Amino acid sequence: MAAMEKVSTPRSGAHTVIGSSIVIDGEISGDEDLVIQGTVKGKIDLKESLYVESSGVIEADIETANVEVSGQVTGNIAASDKVELKADCKVVGDIRAPRILIADGATFKGNVDMDVKGGK
Amino acid sequence: MATPDGTTIIGESILISGSLNGDEDLTVRGRVEGTLTLTRTLVVEPTGTVKAEVQVKNCVIAGVVVGNVTASESVEITKEGRMVGDISAPRVIIVDGASFRGRIDMGEVDVERAERGSRPALRAAPRPALRPAAKAEPRKAEEKTPAKPSMPPAPVAMGAVKRKVIVKRK
Repeated sequence: MAAMEKVSTPRSGAHTVIGSSIVIDGEISGDEDLVIQGTVKGKIDLKESLYVESSGVIEADIETANVEVSGQVTGNIAASDKVELKADCKVVGDIRAPRILIADGATFKGNVDMDVKGGK
Repeated sequence: MATPDGTTIIGESILISGSLNGDEDLTVRGRVEGTLTLTRTLVVEPTGTVKAEVQVKNCVIAGVVVGNVTASESVEITKEGRMVGDISAPRVIIVDGASFRGRIDMGEVDVERAERGSRPALRAAPRPALRPAAKAEPRKAEEKTPAKPSMPPAPVAMGAVKRKVIVKRK
């Protein structure tokens, strides 16, 4: 029980954090924000926001509403809302989203598809 | 005990299927399926479900665990906890109200000595004897055969095993 009290953090809504020493090989899916400081290989399928922090390494295809990348991502990203590549991030793969932001200092290789409706 | 890297939390709506490895505490409020290997503590909260081969240092189960759990230190099933599977750990704590189905193997329980009738001696001996052994030996043994905890051979052993299962009554 003591261990449980120590680990429990205040429940700030639905919030998932994958810590820096964690390695996940497989599939992650869910309906809440996900913060990744560790390594994930496989597939990520979310209905909310994904934050890849600077220590985060992702080798996976990503499907979410929002993505914010400060770490490394190898794989295709499909977002229904927005993809933001922050300075110092490294991204290799295709990005498809209506809004894509690439900050100064970001490294990116791949295709960008903003899915422009009506060819405007 | 304090982890500088912070702890990992798997939120309620999250499903992870596959393998999960790590060197920090992990709190599961959602679902994890596959294999789960940690060098620290796993806490399965009441909303959490783990269907996996689990290998950890400590494990606190307040949710649902289906699968075998191998812990190098302890496994605790709290009053909300439900588990189906085998436990292999030097310390196993099952609290009143918990539900569990499966085998328990506490490793270094000295069955032979119990059979030879040195019971009074054993009653005094096992705790201190178990502690240092628990640090080094079971770990190695478990790594070789993680999914197959060796079962003490006969019902004779059950007396010895049972004494180590600490049942807290309210």
